Amino acid sequence: MLIFSVFKTLTDQEVTVELKNDLCIKGTLKSVDQFLNIRLDAIQVLDEARHPHMMAVKNCFIRGSVVRYVQLPTSAVDTQLLEDATRREAMNQNKR
Amino acid sequence: MDALIPFTTSGSLVDCVDKKMVVMLRDGRKLIGVLRSYDQFANLVLEDSVERIHHGAHFADIPRGVFLIRGENVVLLGEVDLDLEDTVPLIPVTLQAVIPIHLEDLEARRRRDAQKAKILYEQHGFCREGGEGDGY
Amino acid sequence: MADVPSQGVQEPFDLIRLSLSERVFVKLRGDRQLTGVLHAYDGHMNLIMSDVEETIMIVEPVEGAPEGEGIVRAVKRNLDMLFVRGDGVILVSPPSRT
Repeated sequence: MLIFSVFKTLTDQEVTVELKNDLCIKGTLKSVDQFLNIRLDAIQVLDEARHPHMMAVKNCFIRGSVVRYVQLPTSAVDTQLLEDATRREAMNQNKR
Repeated sequence: MDALIPFTTSGSLVDCVDKKMVVMLRDGRKLIGVLRSYDQFANLVLEDSVERIHHGAHFADIPRGVFLIRGENVVLLGEVDLDLEDTVPLIPVTLQAVIPIHLEDLEARRRRDAQKAKILYEQHGFCREGGEGDGY
Repeated sequence: MADVPSQGVQEPFDLIRLSLSERVFVKLRGDRQLTGVLHAYDGHMNLIMSDVEETIMIVEPVEGAPEGEGIVRAVKRNLDMLFVRGDGVILVSPPSRT
């Protein structure tokens, strides 16, 4: 749930999603759900020549399970807050 | 409070229904068709679908009909921009022209991947990917 | 069990918890490894790291060499802030404390 919350705070920010098939897509994060499925707007595919089927696509839905990385805008992430929230969630997990 | 808001896939795909979409599958296939229905697993119903084969700037379509695609096989669902589609510098060719080259591409890729996986497994302790060889 | 939230490693994730805000090494599927500062993780081993150096292993075929041989080359890349999906993680190694 923690990571989902992080992604929710990043909506409308520019991110780069790298898929497990090496496809890299840069775009504006429009929405994210609990599976970390991602909606991107105004997308730009890196190395478009290798992915010609994406040329006419402006916005897309990416299934969370095929994501390898998401590159986040550093300025939009408060690392101290993240660490505190992570420790808190870890404690709650242990209590259960 | 947040937990009350449904953050489901269902919400985020409404605007794609009845639109022309391109679906990338885990095995590398690309399907193009009209999205008619979907659910929270990203199971999709695609109508009037074709499978598009690309080789460089060339492509050809195989008519496929109606598909219900099981969600776990979906990589990406993209909305085809109909204006942009007309300006894309891709050249339609016949299936007969592109299929043999496409099969060669696939075979070359398969051999390259298998060899790479073997070397990295033996020398650097990386795991071989599952039988489908697709890294998912 | 862990009402005392503090020290010690009782279960695997404790090791990752104790590595928060430190530089860790992560080995991934797809012939990749990362080093970076760990800021967040969850039960799926999803990670958020900063100041990441990614190393990708590439195998280049050798001209004329028999099949099954090739030169392994490491390509490096730097990423400022990165979310790593947990299902690709093979192992997480905490910083060496000497």
